[in-house]
Amino acid sequence: MEGERDKRGLMDIQEEDFDVVVRISREDDIAIARQMAKQLAQEAGFSLADVTKIATAVSELARNIYRYAQTGVIMIRKQYQETNNPTVQVVAVDRGPGIEDLDLALRRGYTTHERSLGIGLSGVKRLMDSFEIASKVGVGTTVVVEKRRRKF
Amino acid sequence: MRFEERVVPTIKIGDCLLVPIQIDLDDRTVEQLQAQLLAEIQEKRVRAIILDVRMVDVIDSYISYTLSETAAMARLMGCQAVICGIQPAVALTLAQMGIELRNLMVARDLEHALALV
Amino acid sequence: MEKSQLGILVEELGTSDYERKLWQKLLQEATSGAEASELRERLREPLLELLKELGEGSFGTKLQLVSKKLKEFPTVDILPLVLELCGELRQEKEQALQEFQQMLSELATPVIRIWTDVLLVPLVGGLDSDRAQGMVERLLERASSTRAKVVIVDVSGVPMIDTAAGGFLIEMFSAVKLLGADVILTGLKPEVAHTLVKLGIDFQMVVIARDLEDALRRAIAMLEEEKRQQQKIARVWGGGFLGEGEESDEV
Ligand SMILES: Nc1ncnc2c1ncn2[C@@H]1O[C@H](COP(=O)(O)OP(=O)(O)OP(=O)(O)O)[C@@H](O)[C@H]1O
Ligand SMILES: [Mg+2]
Repeated sequence: MEGERDKRGLMDIQEEDFDVVVRISREDDIAIARQMAKQLAQEAGFSLADVTKIATAVSELARNIYRYAQTGVIMIRKQYQETNNPTVQVVAVDRGPGIEDLDLALRRGYTTHERSLGIGLSGVKRLMDSFEIASKVGVGTTVVVEKRRRKF
Repeated sequence: MRFEERVVPTIKIGDCLLVPIQIDLDDRTVEQLQAQLLAEIQEKRVRAIILDVRMVDVIDSYISYTLSETAAMARLMGCQAVICGIQPAVALTLAQMGIELRNLMVARDLEHALALV
Repeated sequence: MEKSQLGILVEELGTSDYERKLWQKLLQEATSGAEASELRERLREPLLELLKELGEGSFGTKLQLVSKKLKEFPTVDILPLVLELCGELRQEKEQALQEFQQMLSELATPVIRIWTDVLLVPLVGGLDSDRAQGMVERLLERASSTRAKVVIVDVSGVPMIDTAAGGFLIEMFSAVKLLGADVILTGLKPEVAHTLVKLGIDFQMVVIARDLEDALRRAIAMLEEEKRQQQKIARVWGGGFLGEGEESDEV
């Protein structure tokens, strides 16, 4: 697994497979990414609460990129696995410093930033249906999260 | 405080300061907002600030942190802080993330907020 | 094209009187030589009806037949319109399905206004489903739009509360409180209370009532208390200051 990752970077992800790609390099880009996510989830028919949860998750991931890696990309797409039950997938990729201890970073309340609650990543995990993270010191960080549209 | 230094318009109601938040809170504006509010608390001698977030449709961990931080600063100046008008979808998101808005009282609307302070 | 020829084609296309009537209308309008923009307007209705009647597949097959047999039929011009209508229909169908599902879920967990400013949610069944999530969203919308002051949650219809269900309830209570409403929990069965304590869930953030009657009594007491507060500020402001003076009028 480690060897696999090394060959291709952290995960095999192609920008052109996504509906929306937002480059994060200024603080304003966080709001743009959030807005794009919102629009996409709305189009896919998610409830207002779920649209808000997805937008909030994007906000957290984009802010982490801006804060810790300075630049990176947020990619978002709709996926239709079963009919009538689309999924929104959000991928955050950066080539920043990486995270040394992932368990620690995911722990509620852990932060290396002075003005933070340290609940971004753990919060994203709770808001979404699936959460995957890969990180390597000196290489960067990739987070992949998904939320499926509810039947009711 | 000079008018052009303000990032949000505020309204004084009796000895309370109503702060309708309608801007995107980023690192820069949050600091300006905090500075502005602290100055106004001092200048206008208010005993409570009411943060009206009806227009805010995403509150992430950073924004809630800064709102709590602002409330903590206000408290040290002898001023209570109330947040009102949280949208239902935002309330659900905050609850699911396990975010508690520390130092802030929660009200339904302005009328309720005034009754609390 | 002669009338009779068109008639033969219509006979060939339609399998019912209604369908034949629609084809007749469509073909006549299409070959009337009207302007493109006007044509669009006139063809819209028969096209939509035919699509509804036949479905996309068999309508497509028949349209092919028409364009082969009827040289002056403006197939290329109307294709965009057909696609547009297909999209509309699909959306309509999906929306109808969603509305239906929504309706079912609302029937399963109603949000009841049992008193002025008091909502009651009787929870039934498991709490880990999509239905439960949908219910919380509806409750929050309702509590917010009606500015409910108290929400009573009755869990007597919930068979079991495990860690996940307990977490779900805690989230729901916190969300309601973020709207500025109070929560009263009632209907905890002894066996449920037993597991809750074992799990370390104490629901500190809510008021707990013995039964529904007790819950309502407490809710009314809370309303009275708030009214006193309101009157206090109304006196300070000289009454009716905020314009929505139900309470302040009485001062
Ligand atoms: N993309 C990243 N690159 C490098 N380090 C990261 C990245 N994302 C998160 N981290 C590290 O993980 C820690 C936890 O992140 P998390 O988002 O949970 O909290 P936070 O950003 O510190 O605070 P909050 O998100 O609550 O404002 C961060 O403090 C940081 O050290
Ligand atoms: Mg963060």
